[in-house]
Amino acid sequence: MQKKDIGLGILIIVVGAIVYMRNPLFLSPINLGNTANLIGLFGLFAIGQGFVIMTGGIDLSVGSVIALLGVLFVDMVGKFGVPWPLAMAIIIGLGVLIGLAHGILITRFRLQPFVVTLCGLLIYRGIARGYTAESTAGFPFGSSYPQLEWLTIGRSFGVPHSFLAMLIVAAVMWVVLHHTVFGRHLCAVGKNEEAARFSGINTRFVTVMAYVICAVLASIAAIYFAMFTKSVQPSSHGNFYELYAIAAAVLGGCSLRGGEGSVIGIVLGAVLLQELQNLVNLLGIPSSLNFAVMGAVILLGVLADQQFASYRTRKNTERALGLLQKP
Amino acid sequence: MNVLELKNISKRYGAIQALDNVSLAIAPGEVVGLMGDNGAGKSTLVKVIAGNFAPTSGDILVSDQKVAFHKPLDAQKAGIEVVYQDLAICNNLSAASNVFLGREPTRRIGPIKVVDYAFMRSKSAELFARLKSETRPRDLVHKMSGGQRQAVAIARTLLSDAKIVLMDEPTAAISVRQVAEVLNLIRQLSDHGISVVLISHRMPDVFEVADKVVVLRRGELVADKKASDSSPEEITGLITGAIEHA
Repeated sequence: MQKKDIGLGILIIVVGAIVYMRNPLFLSPINLGNTANLIGLFGLFAIGQGFVIMTGGIDLSVGSVIALLGVLFVDMVGKFGVPWPLAMAIIIGLGVLIGLAHGILITRFRLQPFVVTLCGLLIYRGIARGYTAESTAGFPFGSSYPQLEWLTIGRSFGVPHSFLAMLIVAAVMWVVLHHTVFGRHLCAVGKNEEAARFSGINTRFVTVMAYVICAVLASIAAIYFAMFTKSVQPSSHGNFYELYAIAAAVLGGCSLRGGEGSVIGIVLGAVLLQELQNLVNLLGIPSSLNFAVMGAVILLGVLADQQFASYRTRKNTERALGLLQKP
Repeated sequence: MNVLELKNISKRYGAIQALDNVSLAIAPGEVVGLMGDNGAGKSTLVKVIAGNFAPTSGDILVSDQKVAFHKPLDAQKAGIEVVYQDLAICNNLSAASNVFLGREPTRRIGPIKVVDYAFMRSKSAELFARLKSETRPRDLVHKMSGGQRQAVAIARTLLSDAKIVLMDEPTAAISVRQVAEVLNLIRQLSDHGISVVLISHRMPDVFEVADKVVVLRRGELVADKKASDSSPEEITGLITGAIEHA
């Protein structure tokens, strides 16, 4: 665990304590369960976004991917009667293809990640709206899929399965990032691609894989979101979600310049974002203000982090100078 | 036996003769100072040796065996390593991670292969000790001095059992104290039987460590003599053309 993660953890506890003192409902099992569900849903794709950011790139298409794949999943299962495990496999396969397309456009055709994924954002949203002709995709009345529902919106001992899925994904990605050769190469490529290439690393492969991971996690999140909302409104479903993911990753210590970040940090970032949403609801702040609250807290957090860092450096220099002057 | 021998190497770019019949032999553990003005052909020569591109004519021999390099990896496999000034190091990683970058050791835990950090640390600590450098394996490179960074870059070459290390201006952008550190590292390499080609503009550095000084002028090798038989004044004359040949 890094210093930054501990700081973020403390911030989460402090904010939680304040909210609890103003409104004890914060720690009620119902509220905790609902918040955990949202943390799971948003955490799933925030982790993928973190991997892309660590390569020094960005994926703006996540929200649209969630809308398009959500529509397709609901239609496949609800309208065409595709068995849900097969539908799930197809959706994840589509996620792989989307990630490959992004990665190849960025590495082979040397387009900027911002441009590629911005176009993705427009294209996938447009296809989702065109495919459904702007109508909401939903399951037929009275239909039920017990196993699929257990897997996605079920709960064990009060813990939502979306949250457990996020924890499993986080654990796997933690091993991948911090304990595999690929993870080492990801950090190297993000910081200094040229050095990585000189060291014999296949930098294109590493970059493409980061976009594939991001799109696959977004496709898994798309299934969870579709099952959570039960109907997908193609023009509004998943709007701004890429920004939540970027916010969680940046709060969690990922540098937009690449090369830095931790999975624990990203998860804690997702926790803090949902806690702030919850704060807006529980403290009776008009919910129209929730973006403003979120933006202000992120800004303050990043500012404080910067100030603490320069304070630490100053203190260290002073101590070093003091040691020099002592004898 | 020579670690590296160049026989009548020429390199042409269209009408420009970048290298003209250059012949050079380097013995094991020998430190060669490669000097010359800008555009004299130093970088072209280094790139030919490092396998970045093939010579127009002439032969390269490694340990008396004729070789042909098609890409930098071929040269690396033959034991030729290049230390780039700043390029080949990632600031956000630890010294140990940088030493092993691209060649990370792994161990198995069940079905998955994980990076063996403990081995990386102990092995790089050993390499730094061999270089008599105080670099600590866990330290992040962005907190290090220029001299320590060079130690990290050089430790990478030790890891691959290099026979010959080409260093491109290793002392160009660092402080006087760190220059001494880098020159020490070069001596350490030489003591381990590894030959070093030091490309530098700084006359005092070259005379401090080099056994042999080689001067290129307009693609031609105009001097190849023992450093102890020469002087900075003579080399300056050779570089500028005031002295025709030595």
